[in-house]
Amino acid sequence: MYVIVVGGGTVGYYMSRDLVERGHEVTLIERDAKRADWLETQLGSIVMRGDGCEVRFLAQTGIERADAIVAVTADDEDNLIALQMAKKHFRVKKTVARVNNPSNVEIFKTLGVDEAVSATDVLLAALEPPITT
Amino acid sequence: MVYGPPYNQPALKLVIVGCGRVGSQIAADMDRSGHEVVIVDRDPNAFSRASTRGVLTREFKGDQVVGNGTDADVLRRAGIEHADGFVAVTEGDNRNIMASQIAKHVFKVPHVVARIYDPERAEAYEKLGLHTICPTIEGALHIQKVLLERESK
Repeated sequence: MYVIVVGGGTVGYYMSRDLVERGHEVTLIERDAKRADWLETQLGSIVMRGDGCEVRFLAQTGIERADAIVAVTADDEDNLIALQMAKKHFRVKKTVARVNNPSNVEIFKTLGVDEAVSATDVLLAALEPPITT
Repeated sequence: MVYGPPYNQPALKLVIVGCGRVGSQIAADMDRSGHEVVIVDRDPNAFSRASTRGVLTREFKGDQVVGNGTDADVLRRAGIEHADGFVAVTEGDNRNIMASQIAKHVFKVPHVVARIYDPERAEAYEKLGLHTICPTIEGALHIQKVLLERESK
């Protein structure tokens, strides 16, 4: 699989590393130059510095042949825009988002994102059975 | 600009996200024209800054809501479920795009306008059916027009 990962924070870094270890082709997009440099020391040439919400930049990542794109920045709005561009402009088959606000899981689906995962929801579910007062 | 009660138009319920220079100006003008305005900003100081600038004065009858305009719960608090119009004018293009899409597609607000500084992003979302205003292009064109008019005089 060719997977594009948008956002090289902690989640994006471990995700990319894991995908590479499993034998997938990965491009990791990071906007911040310093962070991108550091990521490159760890992951090599799969790291590209740029804005994953910009069509022109995405076009340089070979996105037309991507099987999936995963947006895992800390900002829900940036994840949404990157995935909408990937879907509507480049027709990427699978779009997956990390969302921080749990109510964005449903909203992202309404707005065309295939899968939205809320870490907050996952953690809340881990507290099951629900805490009662 | 002419202010006054709207004689031929019923009062509109408007939600404005972003209390910067543009957002506060729209809020003040629309409020003065008799519309019901709620202005949202995640920074509580944004409202007092607008009042220091003399824009959101004591006469402002609208409501101010502190919160993130891309958060559906905050938008509900701002009364988006009954809004006739929605404007997203925060400093972030992506935030404006997301807030507007929530207004349009989740809450079905009839009139939604998003400010997008990046011309490429503005064009992309205009094509997707979002009503976008790109001040970069519109400002540049306007300045060029003024320059050329002076030149020909």
